[in-house]
Amino acid sequence: MTETPYAIEMQGITKRFGKVVANRDITFAVRTGEVHAVIGENGAGKTTLMNILFGLLQPDEGTVKVAGETAHLRSPKDAIRLGLGMVHQHFKLVPSLTAAENIFLGIEPQRYGLIDRDAAIAQVHALSERYGLRVEPTAIVRHLPVGIEQRIEILKVLVRGARIIILDEPTAVLTPQERRELFRILNGFVADGMTVIFISHHLEEVMEVSATTTVLRQGEVVDTRPTASLSKSELVRMMVGKDISFDRPAHAGKAGDPILEVSALWARDDRGLKAVRDVSFEVRAHEIVGIAGVAGNGQGELAEVISGLRLPSHGAIRLNGTAIDAASPRAIRDIGLAHVPADRMERGVDRDAPIRLNMLMGRHHKAPWSRHGWLNSEAITATANDLVKRFDVRTDSVDRAVKTLSGGNIQKTVVAREFSQEANFLLVDQPTRGVDIGAMTEIHDEILRRREAGQAILLFSVQLDEILTLADRILVMFEGEIIGEVDPTTTTEEEIGLLMAGVRGDAAATQGSPGLPAGAA
Amino acid sequence: MRIFRSTFEQSIALLLALVIGSLIIVGIGENPIVAYATLLDGAFGSPQRIAGTLLQSTPIMIAGMAACVAFRSGLFNIGVEGQLYMGGFAAALIGFSLPLPWFLHLPLAMIVAVIAGAAWIAVPAFFRARYNANEVVSTILLNYVAVLLTSYFTIFLFKRPGGWSETPPILESSMLPTLFEFSRLNYGLFIGLALAVGLHFYFLRTVSGFESGTMGSNQRYAEYGGVNIRAKIFRMMLVSGAIGGLAGGVETLGVHHRFMEGFAPGFGFDGVIAALLANANPLLTVITALFFGILRSGSLLLEVDTTMSREIITVLQALIILCVSAQVRIGRRGDATAGERRWKY
Repeated sequence: MTETPYAIEMQGITKRFGKVVANRDITFAVRTGEVHAVIGENGAGKTTLMNILFGLLQPDEGTVKVAGETAHLRSPKDAIRLGLGMVHQHFKLVPSLTAAENIFLGIEPQRYGLIDRDAAIAQVHALSERYGLRVEPTAIVRHLPVGIEQRIEILKVLVRGARIIILDEPTAVLTPQERRELFRILNGFVADGMTVIFISHHLEEVMEVSATTTVLRQGEVVDTRPTASLSKSELVRMMVGKDISFDRPAHAGKAGDPILEVSALWARDDRGLKAVRDVSFEVRAHEIVGIAGVAGNGQGELAEVISGLRLPSHGAIRLNGTAIDAASPRAIRDIGLAHVPADRMERGVDRDAPIRLNMLMGRHHKAPWSRHGWLNSEAITATANDLVKRFDVRTDSVDRAVKTLSGGNIQKTVVAREFSQEANFLLVDQPTRGVDIGAMTEIHDEILRRREAGQAILLFSVQLDEILTLADRILVMFEGEIIGEVDPTTTTEEEIGLLMAGVRGDAAATQGSPGLPAGAA
Repeated sequence: MRIFRSTFEQSIALLLALVIGSLIIVGIGENPIVAYATLLDGAFGSPQRIAGTLLQSTPIMIAGMAACVAFRSGLFNIGVEGQLYMGGFAAALIGFSLPLPWFLHLPLAMIVAVIAGAAWIAVPAFFRARYNANEVVSTILLNYVAVLLTSYFTIFLFKRPGGWSETPPILESSMLPTLFEFSRLNYGLFIGLALAVGLHFYFLRTVSGFESGTMGSNQRYAEYGGVNIRAKIFRMMLVSGAIGGLAGGVETLGVHHRFMEGFAPGFGFDGVIAALLANANPLLTVITALFFGILRSGSLLLEVDTTMSREIITVLQALIILCVSAQVRIGRRGDATAGERRWKY
């Protein structure tokens, strides 16, 4: 074997899907033992490139070398044999199995022809210990938070002998704490001589974790540089080809009449446990109210109750003066709700249906998109084409199935559909989860424009910087309660962080009872 | 191109099933080429035989439409057989008991068959819609209840000592007219075809059909988009059951002109399978139903002309189902999935 400092070399990779060129003549190399970030907007070709590297797709032109040797990657099996491992953006775990069973799925350690559970558990423990990947091997995956699910995915890759680990948008679903933990784990891998390829569009993360950065734009490599030599604004310019500002935009208007009024609201989760406890607040016209909190503290249930997808157990909700706590989702939409759901694949789209139908869902039953119960294809296609253009959804045809789009473009499809509704209340849940910086600023600008137009906006986000940038008031949720309200212009990340952990501070000047034990989450 | 390729793959699967089938036929001690030729001769050898093939296909086709409606909506009505029996029995009751002019009698008998089918699925539909109770189990179980219940009523109410286990014949005013002198093939075939075309446009072009299909594809998304899930589930299951009842009504009014024990052996189940093989696509279900009809009608001659019993057809059918549903893949990966394909025909 030839000595080479490179774990991976990709040379002249080109991949076409019909008329679209996803990767054009891509050449770059990843040094052994580094964290190498691949950054770019949605549709820049990152995922395609990684799928080629992992053998899921075959390039039309070009070669891939692993440790100096030309590799023929016809399937993921070939890639795994060469020591590659991939953690996908959407996890592929079996919810009813335990962590250990998932990790060893298909390669179960055996004894006398039976699955050796003890060996599996012991091996999980050993790996967990070695890299600080804390996972309880016998826990059922269904009950685990996403941060742990991701660790299970990483362990899956490790037990299959990977020395080169590809992570596709690994932080999209993580809280700030979980993200920090992940970075610590990745640094541990590198210290152990492994190579990490980290796909992202979050500038801060790339700056924080990677040694080298390769920037992709529109399917081509812009440059590969040591990360330390790059500034944030330089990176942005390379990614989008223009400057983008990060400042908190000035807010001209004054909050108007209350649009959404929630009072003493209680609701239960799917298991029947109290998930929303005595929540009261209002959202006014010309106002963005942010709801911060660690994922799983009742935000999901609160959003579902407001949008009519879950019945509250007590309390009242009024939208534009009408009680909606027992109304159907369609009735609430008619009263003035537009809703960007947190999980776009689960709630936000029919992945198999064409983009044009997904664009009109929710008003497909109204004129001109349908008449007398018949869908009007021309009107639907026209509106969909218009929205695709206005919201810059990258596709060559609205007849394509939604699932052919990249994650960010799927999100833009959902945002386009909801933001173009005639509604004066926007329920926006994780609007930029897994979305690149270009799309993120577009979505943020759109949210701000809605505020200027006088709409009331309730913004749920686990990304603190997003809430701090956009919201006029921030409510922090902890174990189903609103534990405090802060002013984004004067607060600090620390103050919100403490509230998110359940500590009611004096600075969080609500009726708080100080000294509640921390870390109860 | 994609449709061409998937049709090509299906044909390969079919061929594979026939090859395995011929091995079995060799094992029995017959010549597979002769057997298949006899089968084709039995299905297509004369105008009468072609009509017989279409006659056999008709109830499978209509039952298949019942299954399509449910499958596309994400519901599993495996109880078409039971609905078919109830529909057939109800149509016979109206058919022999009410002296009415034909333009009232025939439609009334059909409507009652439709109502009987819908009624038979109403309980599973209610529990599925209201409590999310699994409809597969409840609809399957009601098949047995329907077959045995109709048989009980037939024997205890209508059977004369020494006679057949059947109801009195229906009056001429309630009969579905036949198409030719030489066959019992009747207008039921056109009912099946019209249903297929109607359902095709329903799912592709109407608001209600779009909502049903969306519910079948992603129920949580449909709910979010404003579809009243519970009402929709209940309604679509009733429609599915109603079409199942119609399949039985057509069989009674068009073919047998009475209800008798075991009058439609397995037509409901074949319909369910025809719909499954066609990916719940109504137009393709016409083709799969015809295919099953060919096997059934060809098997009659097979039994006469060779030493094989017609059960060999059941074996062939099972092989075909196995091979086609195994989704023999030829060529590249990344083909359209079943879910996507429903937008492509």
